[in-house]
Amino acid sequence: MAEMWISMGPQHPMTHGLWTLKVKVDGETVVDTEPDLGYIHRGVEKICEARDFTQITTYCDRLCYASANTWSHSYIYAAEDLMGVEVPERAEYIRLIATELQRIASHLMWLGAYCPDIGNLTGLVWCLRERELMMDLLQELGGSRMHYNFPRIGGVKRDLPHGFAQRCKVKLDIFLDRIQEYEALLDESTIFLIRTQGVGYAKAADQINHGVTGPNVRAAGHNYDVRWAHPYSVYDEIDWTPSLERPSIKGADCYDRYRVRVEEMRESAKMVMQSLEQIPGGANTYHDPGDPAILAKAPSRAKDGETGFHHYEDSRGESMFYLVGGGEGRGKMPYRVSIRSPMFITIPYASKCMIGYKIADIPAIMGSFDPCIGETDR
Amino acid sequence: MKIVGMRINGAIQREAAESVCSALMSDFGDEELVAEAARHSGGRLERHYVSIDCPPALWRLLAETLSSEHGADHCSMITGIHWPEKSPDMQWQVIIHLMRTTVRNPPSKEKITQPIAVDATIVQGDDMPLEFEIRIAIPETREPAVASVADIWVGADWNEKETWDLVGIDFEGHEGMRRVLLPHETPAGYHPLQKQHKLRYHDYEEMYDDPQGFQRKPVDKGRVK
Repeated sequence: MAEMWISMGPQHPMTHGLWTLKVKVDGETVVDTEPDLGYIHRGVEKICEARDFTQITTYCDRLCYASANTWSHSYIYAAEDLMGVEVPERAEYIRLIATELQRIASHLMWLGAYCPDIGNLTGLVWCLRERELMMDLLQELGGSRMHYNFPRIGGVKRDLPHGFAQRCKVKLDIFLDRIQEYEALLDESTIFLIRTQGVGYAKAADQINHGVTGPNVRAAGHNYDVRWAHPYSVYDEIDWTPSLERPSIKGADCYDRYRVRVEEMRESAKMVMQSLEQIPGGANTYHDPGDPAILAKAPSRAKDGETGFHHYEDSRGESMFYLVGGGEGRGKMPYRVSIRSPMFITIPYASKCMIGYKIADIPAIMGSFDPCIGETDR
Repeated sequence: MKIVGMRINGAIQREAAESVCSALMSDFGDEELVAEAARHSGGRLERHYVSIDCPPALWRLLAETLSSEHGADHCSMITGIHWPEKSPDMQWQVIIHLMRTTVRNPPSKEKITQPIAVDATIVQGDDMPLEFEIRIAIPETREPAVASVADIWVGADWNEKETWDLVGIDFEGHEGMRRVLLPHETPAGYHPLQKQHKLRYHDYEEMYDDPQGFQRKPVDKGRVK
């Protein structure tokens, strides 16, 4: 049969955002793919060159609407590396709570978007229902619903509000119960299993060579996680293990990538509960904003030519900021901000991953890698 | 057994970084390559990485060495900087961040794969995860370029495309270089992260310039920031 190119996107349910996947098909079989990105390129890196170090946090929140907190923390850790700031331990615990709650919310958004991709609309409604619990908790911390602007260089914006620990525990208990409902809904649905098992095989070593990191690698049977390999925050004081999946000999399929994210949500919920217990000063004390217990003094300028970078475990893989300080008379602003987006590297790999499968498998394979176009295009 | 506090031992990480540096210095030391173990200045934990200054001509050889002998299996980021204010021998800079992740395919026993769960508290030597930062300074030129490493780490492919697209540094030997973030019809030679392209806010007097014409004046007008 003659081969032909099909353009999926920029408006297509499979894409989870604005981009085009050009697919070369032979009958029903995919023989070649070519991703085309950049539809919502906003030039964040250039904009940041003309912003104060404190102003940039706001832009980083908006890199990914599903995972705002992890992105602004990713920037803040790089900025702290640039300026050599040490953060109070209480603030680190609050950051851990904020980012792990955000990780749960992000994975719920992913699962909610993935279910309708493969014909399960109930999953969408259920996941967004529980995501709302997490958004409420994050709103209590950060003040707004999606873009919190929560971390500061040297600490956090606000302490845990009164009664936050109690509400958080209740909501996480509800959530841990409801994860079992998702598993009952999806793991026992024949349609879900048929559409995810045995498609989109990806091997661990292959993925790391292609620059793919995070849950996708852990699904392929290696527990590599930036949170232990290059430890930051207080992940060394929490009792946790990275979630890990047993792949088949061919590699991880879409079902493994679904399982590993569900396990990660469980692990994150436990980490939050535990840090509420362990937080120095207790979860029920409240410090005013700017108190030295939650915000260390930090310089607002960086020296000319100083650099700082920090590898960070985002919900979708390893994200990183590389910052260069100073420049001619402009120590308040960075000279260059460079952003490593995990999805920018993963999307080309996922597109290669679907070669050999049928057109109908494309949404299942693409969705299982958790694409987010906001951070991809920057 | 549950491992409390998954984390790498900072002192052993420093040893691993230093051993990579001394191996590199004995291989390349007489050729203007400088490798040293550096420490992250932020954060409450001790974290070390390998910091390398590499001349452009050596980059390809260094990349092959790092990949084959020092276990750098993951190309995290490649980015470029335009430095028009610096000295003529460093008008451009390419920054490469590599990582040693030691991720490998899980072995299989009787046709069942056994997932690899590394215990972070006991890893040593070549299994120690490590960060590499490589800085390549390029002298004044209209067409900056370094060698491509997309055939060593496939992950470098799109990083290199992005660096060429936004900064204008070319990668020799890279096949299929094209625009990835800017529109495909962008004029040749336009790379927005070069410093001759100013943002409106780059000049301080215009910092509070009001595009809607309300003629609002900043309270600190005229003061040096």
